[in-house]
Formats: sequence, C-alpha cells, structure tokens
Amino acid sequence: MDSSVHLDNVVMQFGDFTAVQQTDLKIESGEFFSFLGPSGCGKTTILNMISGFLDPTRGSVCIGGQDMRGVPANKRPTSMIFQNLALFPLMTVAENIEFGLEVRGVSRVERKKASDRLLELVALEGSGTKKVSELSGGQKQRIAIARALAVEPQVLLLDEPLSALDLKLRQHMRTELKEIQRKTGITFIYITHDQGEALTMSDRVAVMSAGKLQQVADPIALYRDPKTAFVASFVGENNGIAGSVVSSDGNTTMIDAGELGILSGRCQSVLSQGSRATLFVRPEQLHLGGEGNNHLAAKVEEVNFEGSYLTLNSTLSNQQPISVQMGASQYSDRFAHGSDLQLSFQGESAVVISGEAEHV
Amino acid sequence: MYNQLKDRFGGPLSVGIVALIAIWLIGMVILPQLLMVDYSFRPNLLPAEMGSEKDVYSLTNYETLFNNGIHLTIFLKTIWSSVLVTFLTLVVSYPLAFYLAKVATPKQAAFCLLLLIIPFWINEILRTFSWYIILAYKGPLNALLLSLGIIHRPIRFLSGDGGVMIGMVYAYILFMIFPIYNAIESLDTNQVKAARNLGAGWIRTHYRVIIPHAKPGIATGCIMTFMLAAGSYAVPALLGSPGSRWFTQIIYNWFFEGGDWNQGAAYAFLLLIICIGFIGLVMKLFKVGLGDIAR
Repeated sequence: MDSSVHLDNVVMQFGDFTAVQQTDLKIESGEFFSFLGPSGCGKTTILNMISGFLDPTRGSVCIGGQDMRGVPANKRPTSMIFQNLALFPLMTVAENIEFGLEVRGVSRVERKKASDRLLELVALEGSGTKKVSELSGGQKQRIAIARALAVEPQVLLLDEPLSALDLKLRQHMRTELKEIQRKTGITFIYITHDQGEALTMSDRVAVMSAGKLQQVADPIALYRDPKTAFVASFVGENNGIAGSVVSSDGNTTMIDAGELGILSGRCQSVLSQGSRATLFVRPEQLHLGGEGNNHLAAKVEEVNFEGSYLTLNSTLSNQQPISVQMGASQYSDRFAHGSDLQLSFQGESAVVISGEAEHV
Repeated sequence: MYNQLKDRFGGPLSVGIVALIAIWLIGMVILPQLLMVDYSFRPNLLPAEMGSEKDVYSLTNYETLFNNGIHLTIFLKTIWSSVLVTFLTLVVSYPLAFYLAKVATPKQAAFCLLLLIIPFWINEILRTFSWYIILAYKGPLNALLLSLGIIHRPIRFLSGDGGVMIGMVYAYILFMIFPIYNAIESLDTNQVKAARNLGAGWIRTHYRVIIPHAKPGIATGCIMTFMLAAGSYAVPALLGSPGSRWFTQIIYNWFFEGGDWNQGAAYAFLLLIICIGFIGLVMKLFKVGLGDIAR
C-alpha cells in the first residue's frame, strides 16, 4: 500500500505571519521521517496540515498519491499522537483504544479483539478495564500509541510524544517506537526539538528553522555534512570559526581566520575568493597535539566531566570560545583552569559553509 | 475552614466574618423559612383567635392544592413548562457556549460575551416588557413574519405559555451559558482534535467527548434555569395571559390578595419541595455530585 506523504509546494500563512514557507517534500512509504527544529519553527504546523487540522494557504498535501484538499481531519488516513497524549479521561483504556473503531461502526466483539491485540503489542495485556488516571506516564504513552494504531492509519503523526517522559523511559520508548514502526510498516512522521530523538530513530530528518526547511538528509549525512550554518550549529555541538575564503576548489576550502591563521575544511561548492565563510569543527574532532593539518592554540576555562567523555570549555587566542571533547580515559591533571592546549584537527573532518555563523 | 480564615485574617476578624455569615444565614434565611414552615401548618385565623383551641397544626393547607383542580393543573403546568424552558435554554445555550469556548478567537469570544451581558444591565422588568412589545399581536415580530410571507395572519404569542417561555429562555440564558462555557473551556482542545483525528464526526465528538466533560456545567445550568423558571414571577406576570398563569402568581395571590399567608406558605413549600426533587433528579440523571456542581 502506498502511504507516502507529499507536501506539494505548501505554504501556511496566518495573517501576515508565514508559519511555513514554500515547502516541497516527499516522505516515502514506510519511512520514519522526523521534523527537527526549535519551537516555533513551523514543524507542528506541518503536522497539522497533514492531519487536516489546518488547510495550507497554498499548495496541497497528498497522502498515498491522493490529494487531501477538501478532505476533513476525520476522513484522512492519518492518526496522531499528541504531545500531551490527549487520552479520553472519562473512558477506560479499552474504550480509548476502541474509539476509532467504534466510530467506524466495528462490532463490539471485533473491537474487543482489536484492543486486546493492541494491548499485547504495547505490552499492557489485561489493562483494558483500567481508568486512564490509573496508568503511569509510560503506560499512558503506550495506550496513546495503541489508540492511534487501532484505526490502521497509513501515516502515524507523532507530535513530540516523548517530551513528558523522564530520560530513561524516553530512551526506552525510542527503541520501542522504532520497533513498532518496523513491525507495522506504517509511515511515521515525527516532530521533535530533541535532536537525540530525531537522530536515533529516523530514516531521514528534515531540519527546520523559521518556517523554512534547512536540510533533509539521513542522520549521518546531517551530522557529517551540514549544508547550512543553522544545521551545523543546531545538530550536535559545533565550533564555528569565521573567516574569509582564501582558496576553494569544490573539495577543500581554505579560510583566513585572522589571528587564528589559515584553516582548511571540506566544502563541495566553490566559494568566491575573499567572501565570508565559517568553518565548523566538532568538539570530538579536535585533538590534543599536532597530528592534524590544522592547528589552534587554546586556554582551558572549565573542565566538564560527563561520564564517558569530558568537555573542555576553552578559549582561542582571539578570545572566541571553543569546546573540545575527548574520551574520559584521556583525562589528566594538566587540564586545569588556565592551562594551555595545543589543538589540531584534520581538514576532512571540518566543514566550511558560506556566510557567517548563526547563533542558535 | 475556620483555621484557614484565622491564618489569613487573625482571630478577631475571623470570628467577625463567621459571625456575619451566621447572622446572615440564620437571620435572613433559616429563621424566616422556619417561620413560613410554621405558618404553613397553621390555619388562617383572625388575630383574636390566635392561640385559641382552633390554632392547631394540620396538613389542611397542603391538602388545598390537591383538592383544587385549577391550582393543581397550574402547579403541574408550571413544573412541566419549567422543564421545557430548561430544555429549550439548554438547546440554545450549548452551541453558543461551545462556540465561545472552542471556536471563537479570544477577541470574538470577549465581544460575544459582552453582547450577551449588556442586556442584563437593564432590569428584568424592562427587558421582559420589551418582549411584550416584540411579541404583541401588532408587534414587530408578527410584522416581520407577515412581510416575509411565513405566516398569513398574526399569531397571538402572548395568549398561551409560548410568550412566557420565550421570555424565560431569554431571561435565564446567561445562567445556562456560563456554567457550560466554563466547563467546555476547561476541556483540552487536543481531546477534540484527538476525537476528530480518530475519525469521529462532529455529532459523535460532542456526544462522546465534549458533553461528558461538560456534564457538571450542563447540570448546574439546568438546575439554575429550572429554579429560576419555576420561581419566576415577573416574566409570567408580564408576558402571560389569564390563561397562562404561573404557580408563583397563585402563591402571590394567596399572600397579598387572599391575605392567607398560611395557605401561601404551604403552596410555596410545595414548589420548593418539587424544585429540590428536580435538583436531585438532574444530579442523578447526569451522575454528578454536589461537589462537581459547586466547582
């Protein structure tokens, strides 16, 4: 069954405010797709357009090749898991799960079968007669998933459903969601501001900022090859160093970073000489000593021990902050406040992006 | 309760507050009511006969109602019409309350609420009298309906209970809208979206999600409207005709025209008992407790 979602040049405006700028995007059938961005970037608006709670100002949404214009929310083959779950508090767990089937006129016996099967899928057998208020946070989460799956949607929409859970449970639910997606083969569209969630679960991620798609890529490409300064600084930790282009050949670009010297990084496009550009190097790509082909001198300000790794918040010679990460085993006493570091990185591990860095 | 007051206002002031409430309740509510109960069981006597052997407690005053066919009919009609008024008010108010709580933007809602409240700045008699004009035989409503060709002859709205009921729906609509509005307002909008998203049409969304949530508000509104309707005097007095008397008018007549306070008190108590019975019934019907309603 085709359960692809095509955002066909959609635009969403509220009065003068453009919540979603023109977006053309195809989400494949059976894909786990995430929209990642800070709050207010328009990702929930996109979800509301797919579910039918909002009609795009321009363009259209196609689900499974069907244009959804004029199809109301209750007639769309989508199912949504809300941020606050929105379970019906006055109904039992089973009634919640069966609600969508009740609407479709499924017989009581069939409904019962379906809810039992779904309760088993989410590992909550026998809780059908419980009240919603008797469930724990994680259990409620699972009932919300079961309720959404009961109507056998082509597309499951998830609006930051894990944000209310504690860390351990959140990590556990990530695996479980991924598992359910694999089992059911439904297209999952996941909205989050948590990059960890987006990167671990998704087949592809769309990064959004201010109503605009910044980049659509699989998690590894997104992390390794950010295409915009926003993506570079929003996804993962990154150190941006501004400079002007010295040379650029569509492979490697050298920038002059003033008193930090000449630095090199990857860049697939050819940037014009003298234009402003920013080099991004990840904290874990910065090494102590001189093995890399780019060198930086820094002074340690603060040492943060984070368990398996440690972060040195330092400053470069031009007073710009830089973050360095290394395995916890490399810890030594010489990383005291004020001590000098000789850092280096390989040009292949850094990315040069045209323009000045945005601050996220 | 007292301790809460004491923590907040200190001892002497708390005692003062409690005493004021007690004086209010006992002096203004409980004692007069008890006096009326006492009246209702005594015969109506000349001052000279009070305290004589004739002055004994009996149920005679209560029996009067059941022996007087006209009064009994009016009594039952009042109850039935009040139920109808309550139902009509609910039918008119629910969609409005839903619109205000969930559909309208805050600005629109505030504007609509203002429009609803402004007429209530004018006193009830004047407001009701304006309906007298609107509903008159040669009034604007008949003129409008005639000119639109909906009717061919003016309708005598004011001769039956119709006018009284229209007037009451109008007079008590706020008492219905506000509790329901508050109840629906407190419903998480995602609940409505979730129901829609799972395929529910509007009717089912209301029936399965919104109305169950709004039940305490609906019950409160129904109780208030019924009490006001059953106990209304001004509306039936103005908009009613001799053929559509309200039970309150009979009570009034006993007190001020018949001069028989004892009889009037008995009638008033019968009405009160029915009203309390109605509250109990509504609470049972909607499966809500006193606590839900007071919220």
